[in-house]
This record gives sequence, structure tokens and C-alpha cells, in this order.
Amino acid sequence: MTLFFKFDFNAICQIVLEQILNDNNIKYKSVGFGEIEVLEKLSKEKQDQLQNALANYQIDIVENQKSILVQKIKDTIIDMVFNEDVVVNVKSSVYLAETLEHSYGYLSNLFSEVTYTSIENFIILQKIEFAKQLIIKQEFSLTEIAFRLNYSSVAHLSTQFKNTTGITPSAFQRIIAKRRALNQQNKTD
Amino acid sequence: MQEDYINITLADDDEDDRLFFTDAFDDIKITTRVKTFNDGVYLMDYLNSDDALLPNVLFLDLNMPRKSGLECLKEIKQNPKFKDIAIAIYSTSASEEDIENTFIQGANIYIKKPSDFKTLKKVLAEVVTINWQYHTNSMNKDNFLLRF
Amino acid sequence: MIKTLSNNISFLRTMLYISALVILVVGALTYRSITEVTKSSEMITHTYKVNVELEQVLSYLKDAETGQRGYIITNDSIFLEPYISGRSKINNSFAELKVLAKDNTTLTNSLKDLNLLINKRLLAFQTSYRSLPKNDIDDPAFIQNFKNGRVLMDSIRDQIKGAIAIQNNLLNQRNNEYKSDLMATPLLLFSLLLCSLLLMYAAYNSIYKNIKQLKATNEELEIFKESTNQSEIVSKHGSWTWNVKTNTFTYSDNLYRLLGEQPQSFKPTIENFLTYVHPEDVEQLSKQVEQMKENVELPYIYYRVVHKNGNVKHLKAYGKSLVNDEDETVLLGTTADITDEIISFKVLEERNAELERNNKELSSFNYVASHDLQEPLRKIQTFLSRLEDEEVDKLSPKGIRYIDRIKNAATRMRLLIDDLLQFSRSNKADKVFEDSNINLIFEAAKQDLAEVISAENAIITSDAFPSMKVIPFQIQQLFVNLLGNAIKYKAEGVIPKIEITHQVVEADKEDGITKPKNQFYHKLVFTDNGIGFDNTYAEQIFTLFNRLHNKDEYSGTGIGLSICKKIVENHKGYITAKGEPNKGATFTVFLPID
Repeated sequence: MTLFFKFDFNAICQIVLEQILNDNNIKYKSVGFGEIEVLEKLSKEKQDQLQNALANYQIDIVENQKSILVQKIKDTIIDMVFNEDVVVNVKSSVYLAETLEHSYGYLSNLFSEVTYTSIENFIILQKIEFAKQLIIKQEFSLTEIAFRLNYSSVAHLSTQFKNTTGITPSAFQRIIAKRRALNQQNKTD
Repeated sequence: MQEDYINITLADDDEDDRLFFTDAFDDIKITTRVKTFNDGVYLMDYLNSDDALLPNVLFLDLNMPRKSGLECLKEIKQNPKFKDIAIAIYSTSASEEDIENTFIQGANIYIKKPSDFKTLKKVLAEVVTINWQYHTNSMNKDNFLLRF
Repeated sequence: MIKTLSNNISFLRTMLYISALVILVVGALTYRSITEVTKSSEMITHTYKVNVELEQVLSYLKDAETGQRGYIITNDSIFLEPYISGRSKINNSFAELKVLAKDNTTLTNSLKDLNLLINKRLLAFQTSYRSLPKNDIDDPAFIQNFKNGRVLMDSIRDQIKGAIAIQNNLLNQRNNEYKSDLMATPLLLFSLLLCSLLLMYAAYNSIYKNIKQLKATNEELEIFKESTNQSEIVSKHGSWTWNVKTNTFTYSDNLYRLLGEQPQSFKPTIENFLTYVHPEDVEQLSKQVEQMKENVELPYIYYRVVHKNGNVKHLKAYGKSLVNDEDETVLLGTTADITDEIISFKVLEERNAELERNNKELSSFNYVASHDLQEPLRKIQTFLSRLEDEEVDKLSPKGIRYIDRIKNAATRMRLLIDDLLQFSRSNKADKVFEDSNINLIFEAAKQDLAEVISAENAIITSDAFPSMKVIPFQIQQLFVNLLGNAIKYKAEGVIPKIEITHQVVEADKEDGITKPKNQFYHKLVFTDNGIGFDNTYAEQIFTLFNRLHNKDEYSGTGIGLSICKKIVENHKGYITAKGEPNKGATFTVFLPID
């Protein structure tokens, strides 16, 4: 039997983080999106200890203010794309600027500098990623997926999907289905 | 701790192609370390050795003497040790069916070798960037399919 | 046939029983009537005897009376003679009568009375002639006596008459009884005889028919047997039966021939048969023969036999078990010589292998075209691009122009190689037909052409397509080629418009379909507003490397439409083209509906 999971990475990370902080007896206040306010001054020794504990989970303490902001941009975008409850009526550039209280130009430059990609590309990448998840679930038609991801038409979604991944949504669906069948077969063999 | 460079490995029996490949990476913004092998056997011997530095992205030429890219792909997919490696097929040409088949076998990326150096650089840069996104944003690699 | 015969047999048996019964009845009746006749003649004789005796008694009495009278007249005792002898005679007669009348009480009683009367009469005689010696006839006592005698005589006569009458009555009565019996018997006998005649006729008819039928059947059987013999020889078959219980076999003539022997030249037994079987097959065949005894139906058995001259033949046997009338299991079997088939199968296999080799060579040739030719070309192009980018400063304008020319030539070569490759791929043997959503395939084709479509602002409209059983990759290629063609050969200064319609049509009603294998087809019509072509070239444009335009004007290789034709033919469909210069072209594709 193969089970398929859907994760909320943010929630998982949050839980792991709180666990580790509690284990290290650090008083903190959760601000959300990977940001934690430590309510005491940490000694260098204690900071190293925490860093080592987090490294097991490949969690990094980000000291750089720029990195923190980039992470916030990413989190906001992911939330915007994946979270149904977040309804964005304005352009994503406006939404980002308002939410993060920085000019879009600043955010955009900063983002490209740190991540080797643009905010626009990152948004597209995340949208296509979400589309992939929905396609694999096979619960929704392409039309519904296009609507849900704010595309004007299926053709628009298909074009962007193909431009981003090099393959069409139907080919993607076919490949993943056959790949799973193959894995299943290998397991039973 | 995240590494601040990406490990790239290529297995290709063609000397010119290996040259184009390494030259192309010199111009890419993301810091990469490129390692090349002359065929599939050399590659697999290295990957299976204990002190191997596993690449983030592995480029496989399909048509190689001794051990083909497809054979390497199957071997790699059967070994859980290599589950984090993104696999890019790097081939002269193939039919649509062959391309789909390599995806089904577990390849993440299919690159038809461009006949233009600029395009090659662009494609490789994009592969590395997108892989970087997957890598740094903990995205589900199972859904990582990319074709040029 | 067997059933009608058995029906007839039971019919005949019934006939036999009925006839026997009839004869028995006839016999019994005849016996009875003969005994009746004997009885009645005996009765008549008996009656006559009684009558005669009675008459005799009377005549004796008369004689006695006459004698008495003579004696009275003559007084000569000689006349008394009849009286004396009469007496004893009467006694004899009475004794006789008593015997005759012993079953008849009326007669016996009447005889008793008669006897009394006769005795009285005789007494009267006595008294009369005793009183007579005085010879006085006129004596009143005598006269009285005489008169008495006469009265007695009359009574006797009456009595005898009465007895005879009784006797005659009895006779008449009996005669009447038997007469009615005897009258009825011949009628009955006659009708019974008639009846049995009819039965006999019916039985004869039935037997005659059966015999005729049997004869015909026999003839048919003879013919059938002969034709079976012939067909066994021609088709290299032999047949056999095996009675499992008695372990006896029969082999058909040709079975012997299959073993390379004269018909019926050896005793048909398993042991004898096995001597002909190839040593390597003996064990398995024996095992299978054992299995045959138990199973009702068996798979084919394959084995080899070796003729005395050393020839090896391949045989195939099939047996089926039946149960005969005696409740014994009998196997009916057929054995065929399949040596020729095996040989031709081997030849076919070899040819197939050769074809496969050829195909493999062809596909490796394809690979040479696709990979080995592309690789150096790609390197030439890549080096050219690097030369152009990195070393352009060091080149003279002439050198730059040459590089340009080389680039163009290389591009064209790439186009040719790609198209050739596509053409050879559309020939590939392993085609998998899938129920496919044509709308998705059509979308994918448009995606493939997205760049040119947007570059030319082409407008593509289409009907919704039903799902079809196709090779998806090839149909996508077909769409790409047809759409690409329409855009490539667009009219100068006009936005390309392509319309695709779908219809289900009947094969008979379409000109484009010749010798159809299916009744219904999908009809896809691609209409564009491009440069079109002269209809005289409508057939030519599908042939490989055939181009209607100079390669400076349009970049085609002359392969694209050949690929379309190949793909459509792979789907057992049809493709036709119609054009009008400067107006547009119409391509019609017919794909069969199963």
C-alpha cells in the first residue's frame, strides 16, 4: 500500500522549532513564519548549542536581515498561493509591498540578489507547484485548477505550465501516474 | 548547514560535450562545482564509493559505451542513498515516447543538447536555478519535472 | 438414423407379438369349433340310434303282434316264434336304450313308462294266447283281451313317438345352439386372418423400408469410408480407436502409412506402435497415453516417429473418450502428420527473424540518422555559435559572411535530419493504440506550436472532438504538422486562420475513402486561408521530398506531409488535400471508428 501525504511545512517546522527551544530551556515568543523572538540574552555557548541542535533538521539561524526579509517574501508568496483563505484582490506586487511594508522595487532587487531568481518567477514556480499537486490529486479538472490559481483560461495555465516545466499538464499527469504504477510494480516484484 | 554552492556531475563520453558543459557553467551566477565522468561505469563506481560527494544535480548522457544513461538512471533510482539527487538526462535527441519513458523511470529533467552555446548556457543556468529553488525551499522533488 | 431403426425394431417386435396372439386365437377357435362339430354329429348319431332302437322296439312288438295274430288264426305255434324272439330282442334294445339314455332323465323316464307298457302288452299277449287254445275267437274274454292289446299297442306307439319327439327336440335345440356358434366362428376367423394379413403387410413394409434405408446408409458409409480414406491420405491424417477395457486397437490404413508401413501390416497395439516413436519421445508419449485412459478430453499430444528408412516425422494426436453400448470406454483418436507445417513454420520463423534483423538494422540506421549524424552537426553548430560570439572581432566581414552561410546550411541539414527522423519514427513497429482524449492531444499540439502561433497571431478554431482510439504521439505529430504547415504557408499580409471541424461520416458517402474496412469514420477537416496550391498537385504533395515551392521562399523539407500520410495510414485512415492558389488549402483526415 502506498499512502500519499500533504504537508504543511510551516506547521511542521514550527513544531520542531518549539520542541528544540523548549528542550534547550529558552524562553521565546513565536512571531510566525519562521520568526521567533527570544526573551533572554543568549550566551555564545548557548547559541552554538542551539545551532547544533537545529542543524540536525537542517534549520539555520538566519542572522542576516536581508535573508530574513527574503524568507518573509517567500513565506508570504507561498501563503498567498497555497492558502485558500488568503484572498488577494490586488496585484501580488502590491500585496507583497503592503504586507511586508517595503517598496516592491526594494523587495524585488533584494530577492533576486539572494535567490538567483525574480519574485515573479518565484510566484510562477509556486503556482505551477500548486497546480502539480492539484493535478496529481486528480480531484479537479484543469478548468477548476486554472480558476483556483487565478488564471484567465486553461490555455493560459497550460502555456505557463509548459513554459515553466517544458511539458504539458496532461503529459505531467500521465508521467506521474505511470511512474507511480512502475514504483508500485517494483515494490510488489 | 546549507552549502553555498551546488554540486554538478556529468557523465558523457563525448569530449567536446564535456568541454561545452564545463565552459557553460563558468558563466553561471550560482556557484557550482562540476565533476565529469567519461562513461556510466566510471560514474557509478564513483557514486558507489564511500567517500563520494553526491551531486545535487546529475547529468546523464543517454548514449554511452559500457553503461548507458538509462542503466545508470535505473541503478540510481533503486538505491535510496541517491534519493536526493536530481537527475537530468542530457542527450542529443530522442522521441517523445523515449523522453516520457525516462521521466517515468524517474528522471527529473530532460535536456536535448542545444546546438547553440548561448542556449546551452541559458538552459543549464535555468536547471541549476530551479533545482536551487527546489533545494532551498524544501519543495517536493517527486513533482520536479523539467524539459528543454 | 440409429433412432429410426430402433423404433422400427420395436415396431416389428410388437407386430410379431400381435401376429402370434392372432394365430393362437385362430387355433383355439378352430379347435373349439371342430370339437363342437364332432360333438354335434355324435349327438345326431346318438339321437338316430335312440330313434332306431325305439323304432326297432316298436317293430319287434309289431312282429310279436303279427305272430300272435297268426297263431290265433292258424293256431300254429310257428307263428309264436316272432313273439318269443321279439321279447328277447326288445330286452336287448332296451338295454341298449338304457345306455343311450343314461344322460337324459326325460328319456329315461319315458323309457321306464314304455317298458311298463311293453311289459303289460307282452302280458296281454300271453293271456290272449293262453286263453286261445279253445280256439274260440269269439270268446268275449278273448275279444276283450284283444281290444286291451290294441289299446296298449296304441299307448306304446304314442310313448315311442313321444320319446322320439323328445329326442328330436333335443337334437333340434342343440343343433340350433351349435348352428349359431358355427355361423359366428368363420366370420371371426376370417376377420382375424384379415387382421394378421394386414399386420404382415405392415411388418413387411416396415422391414422393406428398413432394408432399403440400411442399404442406402451402407452405401453412404462405403462412400464415406472411401472418402475418409482418401482425405486421410491427402491431409496426412490417421485415425484409431482404443477400447480401454479390452485393450484392443484399430488403426486406419493411413495411420500405418504415417508410420511408413503398408496398411494393416502389423497388429495394432501400443507396444508395436511405440517401436516407431522417436526414442526421446517414448517416455512422454507413454505417460500421456496412460493419462488418456482417465481423462475425457485431452490436449494435443506432439511426438515424433522414425520410419524404418530413418525419416523422422512429426505427429500430432488428439483423443476423445466415449462410452460404447457395452459400457466400455473407447478412445477415438486422430493423428496428423505435421512435419510439413513444422518445416514451414521453421522457415517462417527464420524469415521472421530475418525481417526482425532487417527491422533492427533499419532502426539502428534511424539511430545513426538521429544520433550519430546529429551529434557532429550539433557540434559544428555549437562551435559556430561560439566562434560568432567569442571570436567575431577577429574575423573579416567575408569570414563573418561565410560563417553565416555555414550556419544556414547547417540549419537546413538539421531540419532535414529532424524530419527524416520523424518520418522513420512514424514507421516504428511497436504502435500502441489508446483511447485518447483528442482535445487534449490537440491542445498539446498547439502548445508545441505556441511560438509560431503567437508570432504569426494565428487564429485556430476547432470543434470539440470525441475520444478516439489512436497512437497519441502520432496524432499529436499529425496535428502539429498540419497546423504548422497551414501557418508556414500563410498568405502574405494575412493573419492565418485555421478551422478544424469534426464529423462522423459513413464510408460509402465519402469520396476520400476508397475500399473502406469500417463503416464509420471520423472526418477531420483542416481549412486554412494560406497560399493554397494548384489542385493538380493534390496527390503529389504527400510524396516524400516533394516540394511545391522553392526552398528560398519556404523552409520546408518536403517530408512533413509524407509523415502525415504515414501516420494516417498507420491508423488505417485516409488523408486528402484540396487547394486553390491564393485562397487556401483543405486537408481532410478520415480515421476509422471501430
